[in-house]
Amino acid sequence: MKARKGKFFAKGIHVPDNKEWSKDVPIEVMETPDIVAISVQQHIGKPSIPVVNAGDEVYMGQLIAKEAGYIGANVYSSVSGTVMGVEKRKNINGTLSDYIVIQNDHHYRKVDLEPLADRESATIKARIREAGIVGMGGAGFPTEVKLSPRTPVDTLVINAAECEPYLTCDYRLMIERTEEVAAGIRLLAKALAVDKVMVGIEANKPQAIALFEKYDDMQVVVLKKAYPMGSEKHLIFSCTGRKVPVGKLPADAGCVVQNVATAFAVYEAVECNKPLYERVLTVSGKGCVHPKNLLVKFGTNFSALRENCGAKPEAAMFVSGGPMMGPAMASTDVYTTKTASGFLMLLPEEIDVSEPEPCINCGACADVCPMNLLPMQIDFYTQAGEYDLAAKFGGVANCISCGCCAYVCPAKRALTQSITLCKQKLSERR
Amino acid sequence: MDAIQISGTPHMRKKRTTRGIMIDVLIALVPATAAGLVFFGLRALVTIAISVAASVATEWVWLLCKRKSFKEIWAQFDFSSCVTGLLLALTLPAFEYKYFYIPLLSAVFAVGVAKMLFGGTGKNIVNPAIAGRVFAFISFQSNMVSGWMTPRFAALGNTVQTSATPLTSMLGEGLGKIGIGNLDLFLGTGVTGCIGETCKVALLVGFAYLLVRRVVKWQWPVIYVAVTGLVSCAMGKSMGYFLPSILSGGLLLGAIFMATDYVTSPNNKWACYLYYLVLGVITALLRFGTKIEVVSFAILLMNLVVPLFNMYVRPRPFGAKPVVQVCKDKLDSIKQKARQKKAAKEGEAQ
Repeated sequence: MKARKGKFFAKGIHVPDNKEWSKDVPIEVMETPDIVAISVQQHIGKPSIPVVNAGDEVYMGQLIAKEAGYIGANVYSSVSGTVMGVEKRKNINGTLSDYIVIQNDHHYRKVDLEPLADRESATIKARIREAGIVGMGGAGFPTEVKLSPRTPVDTLVINAAECEPYLTCDYRLMIERTEEVAAGIRLLAKALAVDKVMVGIEANKPQAIALFEKYDDMQVVVLKKAYPMGSEKHLIFSCTGRKVPVGKLPADAGCVVQNVATAFAVYEAVECNKPLYERVLTVSGKGCVHPKNLLVKFGTNFSALRENCGAKPEAAMFVSGGPMMGPAMASTDVYTTKTASGFLMLLPEEIDVSEPEPCINCGACADVCPMNLLPMQIDFYTQAGEYDLAAKFGGVANCISCGCCAYVCPAKRALTQSITLCKQKLSERR
Repeated sequence: MDAIQISGTPHMRKKRTTRGIMIDVLIALVPATAAGLVFFGLRALVTIAISVAASVATEWVWLLCKRKSFKEIWAQFDFSSCVTGLLLALTLPAFEYKYFYIPLLSAVFAVGVAKMLFGGTGKNIVNPAIAGRVFAFISFQSNMVSGWMTPRFAALGNTVQTSATPLTSMLGEGLGKIGIGNLDLFLGTGVTGCIGETCKVALLVGFAYLLVRRVVKWQWPVIYVAVTGLVSCAMGKSMGYFLPSILSGGLLLGAIFMATDYVTSPNNKWACYLYYLVLGVITALLRFGTKIEVVSFAILLMNLVVPLFNMYVRPRPFGAKPVVQVCKDKLDSIKQKARQKKAAKEGEAQ
């Protein structure tokens, strides 16, 4: 179906997208190191419960941790070998959680899930749940929960915007595995029982747009190149013209949003009977010698990625995910998860760690805020400890934490962090 | 490996800094300053130099008193006190040398009282330069309203009043008696006035620079100036007032450089629209009411109520109900309540 232009959205920012380094590098399978440590907390919700003990032999694709509750996800072993134990190790953001540490025997003996009898909505959903698939764009919300909305939906929106600078993993998937991704999208639509499928692709990916235009059952929407075009609410607005009401979920606007990588994982789970234990991840940045798109098994140490792609000695910051929302790591001795879509090695010239100065009330943050909030007010009241006023005058509850405000701030204020703090304090009080 | 840095998201930032913005404003003021020097000569230079030096010195002395080292002060120096000093000087007439203390004291007041006392950059409630000018106006009234220097190029065939600005005579004696054409007002030839305000061309060049650098939005000065002009026309009951009223006095200087000061203007678009509209109306009303140059007073007055604008005029979050819908809902709920009350009353009566 011929692509159509997305609805114009004036706010947001134009960030140098720096995708050229890894854009044309084909996906490469990465050699997994001898030891993998797989987190039981790779998603939003309760940590999964380990079902293996130290000394157990596991196969690649074997269930090693079971979901704990409705909002939860199964975790599968990404290698075959011996379980060394369940240990506390550091997460990317510095907190501790349980990791299942497995000694890799490099044989990659595989077990598959049971083949599915049919392709009915309930079967697909059950398989998605079984395979432990979560939203792979970054939030890590269990996909099956998202596919069971409480209000009727009529549209499936596929997030192929990839608006974060540097990242190209979704783009590469769309180029190299077009058929598989399209099949995954169809399965998602089937699970949701909707006919209308929109694929939102940013205008800077003409090749991907051309590839998806040839399918008649999905409508490609060419999005304006801007950050944060991949935010659920703005993607829905751009694709369908609907606005998600304040404080409501996308399903209230009749839409469900799924990521390209998620669609690909769904395809693999349903058609190849393969649970989720690996993903494509972009390694890039000026501090990276060989920028690559790598197929990486979960639990791979970031240091191994760093060696694989080569870090320049002057690389000053290592980020998991994109530069706008991804956390910086204090050490690369942490492990990949379902939601890590990138690994950036940044030189000092790419990052800005300058000290915050007083706010001069220039209003730049309010001008770019895609949610029409007043970040400077939130910051002001949060610094003063007046969280209720921050909610009243700044509208903190609607923030999507995209970081546009902090990006444009001439005083380099830590607006994103203020807002996060404020949200946290408000939720503690409730 | 040893020197991994961490910081909060986002890790990429726009290159613009507070210091950069202030330097942009200084550059934008260069044409106006140059015009002032051409028209008023060495005296203007002395006034400007004293004002800028005193402003910066006041800030630095204040910070030194707060036990900050020179290194810290320089690291945090954002040139905003330079902007204050220069803007203040541009709103003062070119004083005779013996009145050197007027720019000096005004600058000390502007930075010391209006800015540093409230907490420094970003914390001031009123624009420091405006506060300094108003301070000078009130404290040294005789020097501020009369005895002004005749600018150069006065011999281009105009009757020049040296006692007051053309605006005063226009407001006092009527439109026809100014004796100065719009073109002269525009170019600043043969017009008495403060150092920076006479040459409108220079101010507009500065404005263009600010627009190119995206420091100010074009809407704000345009709304302010246009509203002032239109209200002046209405007050004078003649469209002939439009050009003279926007070209005379310090309106353009105030509109481009003072009213658009970030710190002392509202923080969002809708509040700004309302703010500049009200500002324009107030300026025109005050002008006709007092018959003196009042742009600075109008801006000062409006600066004080900016928090109210911020408080009551706020943007609606993405996805919020449209205003019309909100009003309708409100009306419906009021109606329903009234109906319930009525029903309850009838029930009681029965």
